[in-house]
Amino acid sequence: MSHAQAVPASPLKQWWLKWRFHLNILLILVPLGFMPKYFNDAKLFRGDAGLGANVITGIQAGPYTLDLAELRDEAPRQDGPAGNFKSFNAALCKACINDVKAVYLRIGKPRSLRAAGTIFFGAPYRMGTNLPIPPRTKPDAQIWITLEGWDGSMHQASVPLAKASPATVAWLEKQGGKK
Amino acid sequence: MAKSPKKSKSRLWFLVHSWLALPIWFFVLIVCFTGMLAVVSQEIVWLANPDVRASKPDADAERLSFQQVLDAMHKADPDMVVESLRQPDGSHFALTADVTLPDGTSPTLYVNPYTGAIQGKSPDFNFEGFTRALHGWWLVPFTNGFSWGWYLVSILGLPMLASLVTGLVVYKKFWKGFFKPVRTGHGSRIFWGDLHRLAGVWSIWFIAVISITGTWFLIQAILFDNHITISSRPIVPVIAREDVPQTPDGSPAPRIDLDEAARIAGLAIPGLEISFVSLPSTAYSHVSMGGRGWYPLMFQSADVNPYTRNVDSQFLLSDRSTLEFVTESMRPLHTGDFGGLPIKLIWFFFGLVLTLMVFSGLLIWTKRTAQATAAALKRSERTPRAARAQTSLETQP
Repeated sequence: MSHAQAVPASPLKQWWLKWRFHLNILLILVPLGFMPKYFNDAKLFRGDAGLGANVITGIQAGPYTLDLAELRDEAPRQDGPAGNFKSFNAALCKACINDVKAVYLRIGKPRSLRAAGTIFFGAPYRMGTNLPIPPRTKPDAQIWITLEGWDGSMHQASVPLAKASPATVAWLEKQGGKK
Repeated sequence: MAKSPKKSKSRLWFLVHSWLALPIWFFVLIVCFTGMLAVVSQEIVWLANPDVRASKPDADAERLSFQQVLDAMHKADPDMVVESLRQPDGSHFALTADVTLPDGTSPTLYVNPYTGAIQGKSPDFNFEGFTRALHGWWLVPFTNGFSWGWYLVSILGLPMLASLVTGLVVYKKFWKGFFKPVRTGHGSRIFWGDLHRLAGVWSIWFIAVISITGTWFLIQAILFDNHITISSRPIVPVIAREDVPQTPDGSPAPRIDLDEAARIAGLAIPGLEISFVSLPSTAYSHVSMGGRGWYPLMFQSADVNPYTRNVDSQFLLSDRSTLEFVTESMRPLHTGDFGGLPIKLIWFFFGLVLTLMVFSGLLIWTKRTAQATAAALKRSERTPRAARAQTSLETQP
């Protein structure tokens, strides 16, 4: 027992003894390295960095227009067993805010208002939704925007997924062989 | 010196205690320090920024209701969308309002609870958020489940618990140490040693609380990342399509105001304290509101349907399982955010003591353990040359 601290001369042990305190330096470098990302993210969530990446402005849906952007220019993120999701932001035209009850997003054309897709949350100036991306989505798919009016009216528009999120299409093309 | 089995065991304990945090001592020090700051970060901001203070316009001014505050804000800026209103703990704090402006930015506004005046906007650098992010997950972003920074910090709960246990084992009759004076004038090793032990015995409860709750954060992340849930919190379904009226002229359907929603929630749930209100985030969402119950470590909440005036969902203290009483108490116990300023100041003080303990532990180590280990090595090393090399490594902090 009293020899517990005796040092066997194995190279690994030597290396550990020599370098262990440098762990501190490595650990301090972690938050320093992530600091720019932390502040960029804070800016992004505050809306100071605009609507997002690959902004498509002036999408016409019936009498209304809106802007659509992906939150980040990146592939969908996995959310456990629920599947892969992609965050999108949208901004409604100032004049149509009062008329529009809800905005939905879906891959492929919805058959009815009840299946219009995921609903956008938040203020109409910058609302967000999490769109599920099935891995078998065709890279040439369209994403459909459905606007529901307070009077029950429905207006639709679509944009190519490749335009709204090139990174998602690149991810789908990579997935194609596997799933 | 260690001959009897008991002695040598305690010597082993001592070595374990001495070496526990060492290779990462600076990391542990910064985590303790930022945790100490995070406890009082809200108060620091209060001191630094007058916008955050709830100053009374005159002695007998009354607090406005949530709807009155909302009206005042809309009067000041009719285009602003208010998403939530919150009264921080302590009436000396201004209300905070999360809003989105027509340019798409979403600042937090500080609103006077007596006049409804918008006193200011949260600065771009959020001190509270930053200290908490640094302390809580070492700024490592969350991408898929919990960030690895969260694991890195929360795993420290285990060596901290171990150093508490081993510290108590090696400190003979520690219960007699509460009023032992710190010896000065016997050299710095004695001084720091006395201080370390004195601070240690007074902090037993605090180190236990922080390390156990810290370990809970680790367990929480493991549970979450493996999709295991112990929550009985109801999942609030969106309001059914048929409950949201259609309007022939296409204008938004009328919703009840916040005070009416609060009144309805208060009738349905006697004793519901309301310190926060979230406005509906879609046409199919509820007005959510809630606050602390009689048990100050947990919140109660209710979701009021703004069209039908029903309380569609509620989550009260009585809805919690016994297990949830334990697990939900962990976070406030860790942050000291459950009893206003006095509790926060106690947590801050012991956070400072804990930071000091990590620091004094290191000083003692450099002065004693390194020398003792080096001496032991000198005895056991085969070649004198290797022992010398070892000594120089050991004393390098």
